[in-house]
Amino acid sequence: MANNHLTSESKQLATWYFTFAAILFGAQLLFGLVAAIQYVMPGFLYGLLDFSIARILHINALVVWMVFAMFGSVYWLLPDETGIETIGIKIGKLIYWVFVAAIVVVVLVYLFIQVGPADPTTIWFITEGREYIEAPRWADWGIVVVALTFVANLFLTGMKGNRSGIVTVLMADMIAFAGLYLAGMFFTDNITVDQYWWWWVIHLWVEATWEVFVGSIAAYGLITMIGAHRKVVEMWLWIEVAMLFGSGILGLGHHYFWIGTPEYWWEIGALFSALEPLPLVAMFIHVLYDWGKTQGGQDERGENKSVITNKPAFTWFVLNAFGNFLGAGIWGFFHTLPQVNLYTHGTQFTSAHGHLAFFGAYATILVGMMYIAVQGTNGIKVMKHTKASLWAVSMITGGVVGMTVALTIAGYVQVLVSRAQMGATWAAYFDGQSGVWFTQAMDWRLIMGAITFLGFVFLAKDLLTTGKNPVHER
Amino acid sequence: MIDQVVVHSEIALNDFLPIFVSSALVLVFGGVYVGIYTAVKVKLLKPWTMSIAYLFWLLTAYCLYVMGSLMHVDAFTAKALVIAAIGLFLLPFAVYYMQHRVHEENEH
Repeated sequence: MANNHLTSESKQLATWYFTFAAILFGAQLLFGLVAAIQYVMPGFLYGLLDFSIARILHINALVVWMVFAMFGSVYWLLPDETGIETIGIKIGKLIYWVFVAAIVVVVLVYLFIQVGPADPTTIWFITEGREYIEAPRWADWGIVVVALTFVANLFLTGMKGNRSGIVTVLMADMIAFAGLYLAGMFFTDNITVDQYWWWWVIHLWVEATWEVFVGSIAAYGLITMIGAHRKVVEMWLWIEVAMLFGSGILGLGHHYFWIGTPEYWWEIGALFSALEPLPLVAMFIHVLYDWGKTQGGQDERGENKSVITNKPAFTWFVLNAFGNFLGAGIWGFFHTLPQVNLYTHGTQFTSAHGHLAFFGAYATILVGMMYIAVQGTNGIKVMKHTKASLWAVSMITGGVVGMTVALTIAGYVQVLVSRAQMGATWAAYFDGQSGVWFTQAMDWRLIMGAITFLGFVFLAKDLLTTGKNPVHER
Repeated sequence: MIDQVVVHSEIALNDFLPIFVSSALVLVFGGVYVGIYTAVKVKLLKPWTMSIAYLFWLLTAYCLYVMGSLMHVDAFTAKALVIAAIGLFLLPFAVYYMQHRVHEENEH
């Protein structure tokens, strides 16, 4: 990314974060592809890069690239929102390199060391073994230092500069986001207690703090890309915060159905899970309302011109509204109540939901932010689609939706065969996976995964080259 | 042993597909309802289409009923689903009202 149009060091740092996030995004898809091949050909890379390792890399790269892109998004919008340079930006830059170095070391250990003895050295130097946040303990503490520096940058800048509604929400949200990570850093001898706290990190990130983050970024994007009215957008952001925290925090209950927690979590989980889709539906109204009002106002003035100043980014933002609704909403809701979750829990339904929800709710808007950064970095007034950007958005979206459908079919087979017919026995687990519907679904998941990866190649090409494309208005 | 208050009856094998489809349609129809409502209010659609929006809310409520019945939900969860249906009905009214007032306060 060229930086001749960047007006602040904070934005420059943001482009660094986006660049590394994009690299990790590619790694996530690559290792996902390896794991998908291993479902179809179990001997693939056996003994060299087993499924367990490929899966660790796939899902941890997912979380880390999104955290990088989130930090980048905040560093990008801070100067615009506060009107000043980010306070402590030099330390922020130093910490960026510490963060990158730590991630590279962790990935190399996953790749080349892989497993360790059953004693604390493994926890400290190889992996802690908790899904999604498997970094060894030394890296955990490094992440805490990085997160504290980032939060300090945000708070000091927010307190000194113009503290807009977006920045205020981000300040509150990011301290919760960073603080919750601590819940996943200690071990107990009791697996139920361990899982109890682990879910605090996972659930309260993705269904509370990350969703609020998305609301903040959507607000910034709508103001930046279509000139939506700040007061309206920010007022809406507060409603979203109230609704998301209102339903999201105790929606945690739907993860506590079967891990050995008290039975009252069934009622809590059922009630708040039933309410959780409401803010997602409301976010959908938000985008439609703001676009309709802004475009309608321009049409009334006889200005026959689109209000959108960044078409690729806006496309990804709209996909976010739909994707959040589909992936987190629909694919979450249909297996969230305890009566049906008894059968779907731990099947490929969960995987289908995870793929579409992470993509729809988070990947889309973060890729949109990358396009906003490319626009700002290259001094583009109106950014248009290129062939590569259209191929990228079509193939990635089509690929992820295709994977989701395939995994849903596989999950349905598991529900019927492994759970309902055979009663969740050990033999049932394997019988469910040997049926033709399941195996064909896994074939299709691999094909769709390959399409997604190809789409990523187009995305990388576009992000690297579109800044110089003469098709844009400058 | 699973508490009979919450999970008191097994789901029939043939009921799984209708459960998944109806629960997915809850949000599909709900999304269409709020989408049409909002589009009419911001003048992207003609006013008469609002009746179609309400029709979609009725379909949403019906799907919630089908889903809950086939799952054999307990009394508590049934009440939660009714609250969700009412919440979904009121949601676009409340959101639009607040959006509109803020818009008017800042433009007039």
